[in-house]
Amino acid sequence: MTNTIQILSIEKTGKESSLQKEHNNKSIKIIDGYFFSRNLDDQKFTKISKLISNDISQTILTKKNVNKVLSSYSNFNWVVEIKFLPGVTDNVATTVKEIIKDNLKSSFKSFELGSTKIILIKGRKKDITKISKNEANPLIQTIKIYPFKKYLNNFKKNQFKIEKVKLPKKKYSKKEINLDISDYHLSLIGKLGIEENDKSRRGTLGLDLESLKAIRNYFSTIKRKPTDVEIETLAQTWSEHCKHKIFSAKIDDIHEGIFKKYIKGATEKIIQLRKDNFCVSLFTDNAGGIEFNKDWIICHKVETHNTPSALDPFGGAITGIVGVNRDCLGFGKGAKPIANTYAYYLADPNKNYQLYRQKNNKDPMLPANFIAKGIISGVRVGGNCSGIPTPQGNVYFDDRFAGKPLVFCGTVGIIPKKIKGKLSHKKKANPGDIILMAGGRVGKDGIHGATFSSEELDPNSPVSAVQIGDPITQKKMSDVIIRELRDENLYSSITDNGAGGLSSSIGEMAKESGGFIVNLEKIPLKYNGLYPWEIWVSESQERMTLAVPPANVKKVIKRFNARGVEATIIGKFIKKEKAIVKYNKTEILNLDMEFLHEGYPKLNLKTSFPKIKKEKKKIIKKSSLIDKLHKLLSSPNIVSKEFIATQYDHEVQATSIIKPLQGEGRVFGNATAIKPLFSDEKSIALSQAAYPQYAETNPYDMAGCSIDTAYKNLIVSGANSKKIAILDNFCWCSSDEPDRLYQLKEAAKACYDYAVAYQTPFISGKDSMFNDFKGFDKTGKSIKISIPPTLLISSIGLVDKISHLTKITPDDGDILLVLGVTRNELQDSVYSKIIGYEKSKNPVVNSKDALRTYRNFEKANKLGIINSAIGIDLGGLGIAVTKMAIASKKGLAIDLKLKNKFSVDQFLFSETQSRILVSMKKNKLANFKKIFKASDYTIIGKCTGSDVIEFKENKKIMRGKISDFAKSYKQNIKGL
Amino acid sequence: MNVLVLSGYGINCENETLHAFEVVGFKGKIIHINDLIQNPKQLNNYQVFAIPGGFSYGDDTGSGNAMAKKIMTNLYDQLTDFSLKDKLIIGICNGCQILINLGLVPSLNKKDPEVALIENKSGSYECRWVDVKVSNNKSPWLKNISTLNLPVAHQEGQFMIPINVLKSIKANDLIGLQYINHRKKLAKGQFPFNPNGSKDDIAALTNQNGNVLAMMPHPERAFYNYHIPNWQSKTIKKFGDGYKIFMNAKKFFA
Repeated sequence: MTNTIQILSIEKTGKESSLQKEHNNKSIKIIDGYFFSRNLDDQKFTKISKLISNDISQTILTKKNVNKVLSSYSNFNWVVEIKFLPGVTDNVATTVKEIIKDNLKSSFKSFELGSTKIILIKGRKKDITKISKNEANPLIQTIKIYPFKKYLNNFKKNQFKIEKVKLPKKKYSKKEINLDISDYHLSLIGKLGIEENDKSRRGTLGLDLESLKAIRNYFSTIKRKPTDVEIETLAQTWSEHCKHKIFSAKIDDIHEGIFKKYIKGATEKIIQLRKDNFCVSLFTDNAGGIEFNKDWIICHKVETHNTPSALDPFGGAITGIVGVNRDCLGFGKGAKPIANTYAYYLADPNKNYQLYRQKNNKDPMLPANFIAKGIISGVRVGGNCSGIPTPQGNVYFDDRFAGKPLVFCGTVGIIPKKIKGKLSHKKKANPGDIILMAGGRVGKDGIHGATFSSEELDPNSPVSAVQIGDPITQKKMSDVIIRELRDENLYSSITDNGAGGLSSSIGEMAKESGGFIVNLEKIPLKYNGLYPWEIWVSESQERMTLAVPPANVKKVIKRFNARGVEATIIGKFIKKEKAIVKYNKTEILNLDMEFLHEGYPKLNLKTSFPKIKKEKKKIIKKSSLIDKLHKLLSSPNIVSKEFIATQYDHEVQATSIIKPLQGEGRVFGNATAIKPLFSDEKSIALSQAAYPQYAETNPYDMAGCSIDTAYKNLIVSGANSKKIAILDNFCWCSSDEPDRLYQLKEAAKACYDYAVAYQTPFISGKDSMFNDFKGFDKTGKSIKISIPPTLLISSIGLVDKISHLTKITPDDGDILLVLGVTRNELQDSVYSKIIGYEKSKNPVVNSKDALRTYRNFEKANKLGIINSAIGIDLGGLGIAVTKMAIASKKGLAIDLKLKNKFSVDQFLFSETQSRILVSMKKNKLANFKKIFKASDYTIIGKCTGSDVIEFKENKKIMRGKISDFAKSYKQNIKGL
Repeated sequence: MNVLVLSGYGINCENETLHAFEVVGFKGKIIHINDLIQNPKQLNNYQVFAIPGGFSYGDDTGSGNAMAKKIMTNLYDQLTDFSLKDKLIIGICNGCQILINLGLVPSLNKKDPEVALIENKSGSYECRWVDVKVSNNKSPWLKNISTLNLPVAHQEGQFMIPINVLKSIKANDLIGLQYINHRKKLAKGQFPFNPNGSKDDIAALTNQNGNVLAMMPHPERAFYNYHIPNWQSKTIKKFGDGYKIFMNAKKFFA
């Protein structure tokens, strides 16, 4: 009899090697453990352990062999046992349960099990403590450290325990909340949550006093008290995360708000000007849709998952990526995800910031490298397991992300224009339609996620706000929807359950029919004991909500079940504009839809001009040009991100046509392309850009640079300039402060100006307004760390023909040219950060000049004049030249004929925007000159094909070997 | 000529795998494993059984293990019968891991698995292009091919083979593909040419008849010329190397 199955790999695993290396200790071994809620007899033990292990590569530990087997590896003396806290998603355990159920059929029914990682070492206790800190997160896992002897004893005495979720048995009775209380007590409800009978609080609602007063007024007009469920629902629906109150607020003299004026305003202006069918579905749906070809639409959406990733990096990031995949599934009648994108803004993983959420070194922030690694692997597992390629992304490091990492996750989807003759992007839940919830079950996951991601991260940030995605459950659900239900038109509407859970998804969908009635007791739960309000707002993942005509319901449920996916009838849509929720027949929520969605008090914001934070002076160290190039190439924001590209499957679906690593020398590219249909040579080019480092100097120019770079990268890759759309993701800080709001307004204004100039509609966007950390440093001093305002612009464009796609590798004999004018713009550049501060100007985009360069480039490329091209961005021309040489493994000779009193450094490292480095065959120059006028380009050298890059300044020649540059460029990022 | 392409529970390369078969002339269908379990007789309508790549059951309990156990419990005899007929089976990546866990490859003596696929030596997921050479011209899948340039994308692609089994594998000529370096010589375990540290640079194994092929690289992702990295700098042709594998299946039945 035993209650555990423990398996270890005979040979050293990759994970063991990396742990051994990291901790400089060869005596580390990892055991995969499974703890059962009841004892297994010998027969079952043998059968089950055979089912979940491999005879050749693994050994199953038994009471008899455990001592002998383990001592053959080392004389271990410490053990750390890491398992999930009760209620946290345990994907491995779910799989094991399925294997057992399928194989043993009815003979072993009710049991619980949990997966466990057991790490053994020979060393000191402080070594194992260090390992445990790197391998586990106390927020979601229990970590037990004990001597090896005790481990053996546990084994012999069946003392490995699994903890089940134990929620107190509670009988729900309808709870009414008295709002006729003082302003102080009212604001406590908003800040700390509804008070339970035992005087404890449920956790922040994120409702301000004005909102609570609006709620009080509403209920005094309808002459009753609100229920707890009603207040919770209003808090979710009115959260900054769901309603984007700051973007819709009156700000200074902009009455309609910056979203309507600048973002939507730009798109409306563009649609009015272009008169084509490019824009299909904008701002109203889960993602934005554009026309791909005559039969297909593509959609794109980018989300952030910052706060959850600060608390549980792996869980936060995986939930971010599978969550945005669902936005795609919820676009129109359901688009198939065909590409993922990512962008991470992180603190230096090699630094120890030592930040604490509470005084006296309590409640520490996770270490920067733990956060970075967790985020990178979360998106890996989410994307790879879902079979969605992840070709496009980037990473940026800055100390100011130490309190809050930014995690942007995006997805592109594709859907036929028409399904059974009806437009696929139109959907409407009809009165009488059944509300069906499909996918995973509901637990306490992410309770209060929407409300707390709208607040600053402080000691009251609730821990149940953490979810972990389960990509396989989602993949199963997604396959049924896209392949088996959608094309038969079996449902009238669909949306995803993200922030705010059912309260948000049903609330939004019901706008299509009028209202809804939901019966909460019908909802399948992960474990008993949830309060109705918890069921209603839970953010448990992998769920979609469908509106299904009653005649189709049986068929739809059957299809889901046949693929191992749960689907449940939970209510119906009605015509009456009422939101009604019942629990065991008691009505616990009854609100007017109008009040639910529009009843929140509109903000009235004022801005003020901020004090500009000047870049700190840093003395320029004298060193050679070649040394400087090496320093820049190996700096974290320029160095290759190959290690991410190779762990993210970008080849699945067989669509990758321009890959993240480009040229024989594998340079991490600025843009990638996929060809989504085998039947059409048209491709989709993807890129993105953000310049948080430029934000404090001039937020308007910062936004201009982001749009210009995201656009330029697609033009350079060969996209059709008339078929480019962009997405805005604003991640701001302290958005209740007038100077931050000023920066926001300026950036938004630039969005309008440049989008209209470039004719690139915004098709989707999202904002996250409070990315601040309030806590303490190691000395106990209270500190606030705000991220620099960050605007990520994602660009998506169509490439008409395969032959338009460019490469970044020149050929022998090519001449090299810079398109566009170089100015002295070193302010906030990588150069000024790494080499030294130089008094200079910040990069400013002149859209008229830029567009001339882009249009001419496009023309030249279509005529076959351009042989290779790369956009010039971080690190300026010097870095672009070096990347070309590394990618092609071919030498370049650059002649620095300096104009305008430029120094070499200014010419090579200025980050002037809107420039492209191109190469072409000499004999194409005549045709080139027919397109470009002389002042719009500079010939700077040629491709020699040797193994060096040489820079010639008058008679002085500076040389560097390409292989040495490649070494610097491919250095590991310290701490990762 | 009909091909059955398996799907379900996290398999995810079924569309492109079916496409590759269709282009060379097969008729085919993607069939969910639960439907196949419901009606295993439909296997009789097919000459090729393909298990595509993916992440069945999220690789939990070892890649390919859970799906192999599901097949063992519900479809083992039917699939073994299929393999003993004049028909073809291919497992790509996760499909390879499933075939290995089922013991259908190399299938020397016993019913149990004889080799294992373990985590890459690098400890990380590797999505990259590799060169492989064909080591066994017996298999109909590999006839008249010398080398192939294909992508791999896996976390657990390292073949682990007990010494005596390796001896029999070599004696019976069951190594299908081996990783080679830029000089077209065996990679000798050197990264990144051998991306996972596989024993003897093994990238694919076959069964004794050669009609069952378990390969880690993805031929369906190297099907067209534009799939190949830096195709712009190379000679223009229509297909990539992966095409050859699917054409061989067609030739077998022609």
